Amino acid sequence: MGYYLRKLAFYLTALWAAVTLNFVIPRMLPGNPVDILMAKLQQRGGSVDPAARTAYETLLGTGGKESFATEYLAYLGNLLRGELGVSVSAFPAKVSDVIGDALPWTVVLVGLATLISFLLGVGLGAVVGWKRGTWLDSLVPATTVLSAVPYFWLALILVAALSSGLGWFPLNGGYDVVLDPGWDPEFIGSAIYHGTLPALTIVISSIGGWLLGMRNMMVSAMSEDYVLTARAKGLTDSRIMVRYAARNAVLPSVAGFAISLGFVVSGSIVTEQVFSYPGIGSKLLQAVQNNDYALMQGIFLVITIAVLGANLVVDLLYGLIDARTRDRSTVS
Amino acid sequence: MLKKICALGLAVALAGTAACSGSSGGGGSRDTLVVYTGQAGDFQLNFNPYSPTQIEGIGTIYESLFFFNIAKDQPPKPLLGTEFKWNADGTELAVTLRDNVTWADGEKFTAEDVKFTLDMVAKTPAINRTGFKGVTTAVDDTHVTIKFPEPSYMDGPQVLGQLWIMPEHIWKNYATPATEVNQSPVGTGPFQLGDFKAQSFTLKSNPKYWGGEPALKQVRYLSLSGNQAGVDALKAGSIDWQTGPIPDIKDIEKNYPGYKAITLPLNQVALFSCSNAQLGCQGAQTDPAVRKAIYYGMNRTQINSLAFQNVNSEMSPGFTLQPRDSALLSNKLTDRMAPMDANTAKSDQILTSAGYAKGADGIYAKDGKPLALTVKVVAGWTDYITTLETLSQQLLKVGIKITPQQLSWNEWADARGRGQYELLIDSVEQGPAPDPYYTYSYFFSTATTAPVGQPANPNFARFSNPIVDNALVELKKTDRGNPARQPHYDAIQVELEKYMPYIPVLTGGIPSEYNDKAFTGWPSKDDLYAFPAVWKRPDASQVYLKLKPAGN
Repeated sequence: MGYYLRKLAFYLTALWAAVTLNFVIPRMLPGNPVDILMAKLQQRGGSVDPAARTAYETLLGTGGKESFATEYLAYLGNLLRGELGVSVSAFPAKVSDVIGDALPWTVVLVGLATLISFLLGVGLGAVVGWKRGTWLDSLVPATTVLSAVPYFWLALILVAALSSGLGWFPLNGGYDVVLDPGWDPEFIGSAIYHGTLPALTIVISSIGGWLLGMRNMMVSAMSEDYVLTARAKGLTDSRIMVRYAARNAVLPSVAGFAISLGFVVSGSIVTEQVFSYPGIGSKLLQAVQNNDYALMQGIFLVITIAVLGANLVVDLLYGLIDARTRDRSTVS
Repeated sequence: MLKKICALGLAVALAGTAACSGSSGGGGSRDTLVVYTGQAGDFQLNFNPYSPTQIEGIGTIYESLFFFNIAKDQPPKPLLGTEFKWNADGTELAVTLRDNVTWADGEKFTAEDVKFTLDMVAKTPAINRTGFKGVTTAVDDTHVTIKFPEPSYMDGPQVLGQLWIMPEHIWKNYATPATEVNQSPVGTGPFQLGDFKAQSFTLKSNPKYWGGEPALKQVRYLSLSGNQAGVDALKAGSIDWQTGPIPDIKDIEKNYPGYKAITLPLNQVALFSCSNAQLGCQGAQTDPAVRKAIYYGMNRTQINSLAFQNVNSEMSPGFTLQPRDSALLSNKLTDRMAPMDANTAKSDQILTSAGYAKGADGIYAKDGKPLALTVKVVAGWTDYITTLETLSQQLLKVGIKITPQQLSWNEWADARGRGQYELLIDSVEQGPAPDPYYTYSYFFSTATTAPVGQPANPNFARFSNPIVDNALVELKKTDRGNPARQPHYDAIQVELEKYMPYIPVLTGGIPSEYNDKAFTGWPSKDDLYAFPAVWKRPDASQVYLKLKPAGN
């Protein structure tokens, strides 16, 4: 039990540290929301009247200068009550609503893409590792090259070729604008059609890592004694590959997968920018560009919780699966 | 790709037809105008005209009492008001209201609605964007008077043209008008909200509009991913009106069949200098001689062709907007218009007599300090960046070294507000009426500046001049159109030319592209009934009112 208590205490401390950083870092940005709002409005022919600035200060509540400590305590109090505040860039919408609208898009797109990439990468890795020394080995450099290419460049090339050139996929957006968002087949079909190319780019650029890791683990697992024993018993090749070698080799990849699920929420800013996808990454960019502290804090909080949560799950799972990580005294 | 989406849209919703018929280049008659206002990302529902994040409604759904056209000096157009008159000392404004107006829900519009709106603005600081302090009285159903604490001729255009009259019977129920998103707007204007979706919404014509139902039956607003997407959509013919630069705008009729462009001067591009050493500015630009040397060393013809596709125009050092304010252009100026070509001899002479001497590297120096300045510019504002690169070459010939420094918008806006810059490039903007008074009172008045380190808005140059301040006070006391104003305009222009806190570059044109084949009645240089920018409100609503589907 001590193991779990220790872990929980650690995670609570980490959460507090992260929440505090969430508060401090946005406030180190230059500028303030009112000036940015003014500059934005001026670009679209808005008024530069000094009275307008005063009105916006009052409206956004940035006029009065409260002390850093007061603001921090108020922020912690609001967090405990689940109050994330009002977004300045989407005024007067609540931060929780803005995040709530954006989060499903990201979770579904990046989550599915990560899952597909993991399954494909691990599956291929197992086969490549099993048949090492054959032509299949060339898959390793081929996919790692694709991972090494900067993601935005790969994405732009695919957009240029498949959307602009061949016209197979839409250029940008999350769904067809003439449709009403809802759970009807028309809209879901449109969302899938719009999500295919972004998902494809994520899969292509991340599959190499899974494949390489799995292949190398597979190669070392194949030299283990239990694989030799299995061969000696005369089991079929496919049974040895799947039940003996791959099952052991996949352990580190599973841990990696759980952690990368935590990053699903945050790891999509570039994707969403390239494809104008209506997810959490584009909202984060919008928040940063507008000095929208409340929205930034909200999104950082969601990211923090996702990453910490994924780590916690992995830690707890490892405690269950592998007794060695649970108790220092049993380490040989 | 577009065809495919359109086919899908057609099958699903009737509304889809609007966006799609555009792809045929406007063949046949259609009554839906598709506009792109520069909205990047989803629309956030907000039809409160007093909210800074409102997405539409000013002029289209909600009307002001009068329409002031900032594109051309002409009398205000009556909307909900029919007549207004100031008393002798400019402290009381009497307005006659239109009689036959109803709100979209059938209720009658009366003077009580006007009183309610003006009182709401006066007592809610968060929406009082014009600093309105008047006290409104409803005399009878069609007359109101507004009393001001001081002579307020110059507040007239704000009150009459920038306050949108709201229905009392609905808005009295809103406890906090500043944060109300006004989901189902009810106004008196020519349009009503059609359907709303995060990526597009429509306005439909108001059949009971007091001026008669508009010929344009529907306006669709699209959200796209940015300027490039706007250009692409124009190329595909899926939008009818957008405002913003496009490549090769001169040949628009060849590259975008059916479309035309209009470029109108609005913002005066200038190098803002942190000019006032007394308020804490540091650097060589605090010396007016340096600013004037830059002014004369500039080859504006070259900048216009390299950075602005030759769409910008001449600018007056007195900051009247030309040609709109040609009647007010002072003949006491040394240069009525900033010279389009460089005059390096003049720059040399100004710097030499101010005590500067050329060093071995060809750069002027004084007290051992070379004349080197950094100019802040927003990264990605390519026209301004090109301007600065061109200018830095031109000024090297004079003996002044300027170094462009690219910053993120936030960082740049912060430096501008706090005065933590030497030079930066930006534009000087106009007010609510065709009158340079507003520009002067915003950008050149001591009242709107602050010491370096504190945010100033918007007198970023920290310019402070008693002659200008005094002239502004006098102008505030005199009604527009009174010839007694001209000496004050003259005084201001002469001071601005003398000190040049904002170094004039060129008058920036705002280019708009519109579908001339499917719709007629667009504003033209000969008939500037409104400023032709799709995001300029309420001007856009005046354009919607005039447009007619071609072929009808």
